[in-house]
Amino acid sequence: MKSDQIKPNKPKIAFFDFTSCEGCQLNKLNLENELPDILRHVELVEFREAMDDKADYYDIAFIEGSLSTPSCINRIHDIRRRSNILVALGACATIGGINSMKNLQPIETVRETVYGEEKYRFPTLPAIPVSAVVKVDYEIRGCPMSIPEFLRVLKALLMGKAPNLPDSAVCVECKLRENECLYDRGIVCLGPVTVGGCEAICPSFGQFCTGCRGLVPNPNKDAMLDILTQHGLSLEDAQKRFLLFNSYNIESKSIT
Amino acid sequence: MEKFNLSTSRLNALIKHLMTRGIVYAPHKNGEVSFSFDEVRDPGKVILNYNRTLQSIKKYFLPPREQLLSFSLKSGSLSKVEPENPLRIFLGVHSYDMQAVLRLDYNFSQGNPELNYLKRRQNSLFIGVSFEPDTYHFSRSVGIMVEEFDGFDLFLDKHSSGYTLYVVTQAGEELLSGFDHLEEAPDRPATHREFRNKIKYNFNRLSEVFDHAWDSSVWEEIAQRCVGCGTCNLVCPTCYCFDVEDDVNLSLADGSRYRSWDGCMLNSFAKVAGGENFRADLSDRQRHRVYRKFKYITDVTGEPWCVGCGRCTAYCTAGISIVETVNRLCEEYEQTVLRKPLAKQDWVL
Repeated sequence: MKSDQIKPNKPKIAFFDFTSCEGCQLNKLNLENELPDILRHVELVEFREAMDDKADYYDIAFIEGSLSTPSCINRIHDIRRRSNILVALGACATIGGINSMKNLQPIETVRETVYGEEKYRFPTLPAIPVSAVVKVDYEIRGCPMSIPEFLRVLKALLMGKAPNLPDSAVCVECKLRENECLYDRGIVCLGPVTVGGCEAICPSFGQFCTGCRGLVPNPNKDAMLDILTQHGLSLEDAQKRFLLFNSYNIESKSIT
Repeated sequence: MEKFNLSTSRLNALIKHLMTRGIVYAPHKNGEVSFSFDEVRDPGKVILNYNRTLQSIKKYFLPPREQLLSFSLKSGSLSKVEPENPLRIFLGVHSYDMQAVLRLDYNFSQGNPELNYLKRRQNSLFIGVSFEPDTYHFSRSVGIMVEEFDGFDLFLDKHSSGYTLYVVTQAGEELLSGFDHLEEAPDRPATHREFRNKIKYNFNRLSEVFDHAWDSSVWEEIAQRCVGCGTCNLVCPTCYCFDVEDDVNLSLADGSRYRSWDGCMLNSFAKVAGGENFRADLSDRQRHRVYRKFKYITDVTGEPWCVGCGRCTAYCTAGISIVETVNRLCEEYEQTVLRKPLAKQDWVL
């Protein structure tokens, strides 16, 4: 082994899942080409999907999933206390995601619908992003989270730099790729108010943006609703577009 | 100026001839209703009758994303990536996009010259084509006629039975050598094109209007309809702002420096160290964008930096129109500064 490959005290990293499909974590096991390089720089100390080990301290904890039960809340506090840097991964962890659609109905109704007579055995809460409970240092957005963005954040953190994450709209990446605007094909799209960084992957293949990466900072939601309705959606359908991934954001700031 | 007849049926032969001289770029269909400049591989796919391309030919001189350097952190060394500049022929360029390139030439040769841009600009030849103005074109209002030859080497003026091919420069003439059987075109009356002035004042008065536009309520009104997506910046042929970012590879030992297009309508554009954002409001950003096109550079060069292509308006999903914005400012100027409308002859060309 060459001397530069020996890294004493490699940063300890861990992955945790909360309420989610676990797709973001699986995504990382798909990084076959990069994993050997990544593992040269880090010590993987906890990753339920890939290993049994547990650890007491994490230099970087990656969190997937939204928080939706009382036990989630206790567990995230515990992880945060034992982590130096905490990174939220994917739509559920960063913005609440699809799970937060449950917040649109009274929590007791949701509980009864899902668990029926057994509902008293399953306490539940509105689904909320990790940042609603503990301090989140960085967020990697998307459903699923973007692998190139994960690598960028990981590399920056390993170099001791703050990752540079975009906060501009998906439209920017469509324009850089010179995609025909879906609006010009008569398709309405949430790209104008959704945070990019996904290389506009959906519009590039003709699929409208569903807003999985969350809304841009200080979004002009009224103007966006006007755009959606002027391009043929009813107000109700326009609001539903927002609610698919952004119910937490919309509900907690009540624009509908 | 020499001019030849070129029938529509000989267009493909001309394109084939050009392809023997250099890499030819021309408008092609992109998607269902849009067009873009692409390298010509099949002359039959070139479309000269188009309204506008999604991006102007700026993308060939200032690419949306380009590598500037590669570096090694271990040795502390770096090497610059030299752009290539083979002979490139841009066919089917509209006059406003040509004018935009000439404006970028100015921007990038002032002060510290922008070497990558200037190198890519060398060895470029331009063949213009006339166009039928649509709802969004307003280049005439900023002083650019459909048949403006400035910057072109050759120009194709469409008429009912084909094209008149004008030889504008020596380089254009050389480009045609070996393309035989061109017959001298007769003098014909200029093709009539319906192209009204859409901006209320002559462009040389707009700087004065903008002297009084800073506190206008127009900025807040358009900001209410704007979502800050940045499309207007990113399709503008004279916008040239960029961001530079370093990326290391997974060895954490080597990396590259990249540059990519940026835009003043984007939230973090004016964000500085410490987190302060000196244009956090969309109204401030809209004002800045429009002042960049009609005031700041214009006061130095005497020319509007907006070339009237209409892209920012045509591609704005919120329907914000730069012509309407400027006309609103003209009206406010009349009401609050002049206190009477300008006499008609002052603004009708």
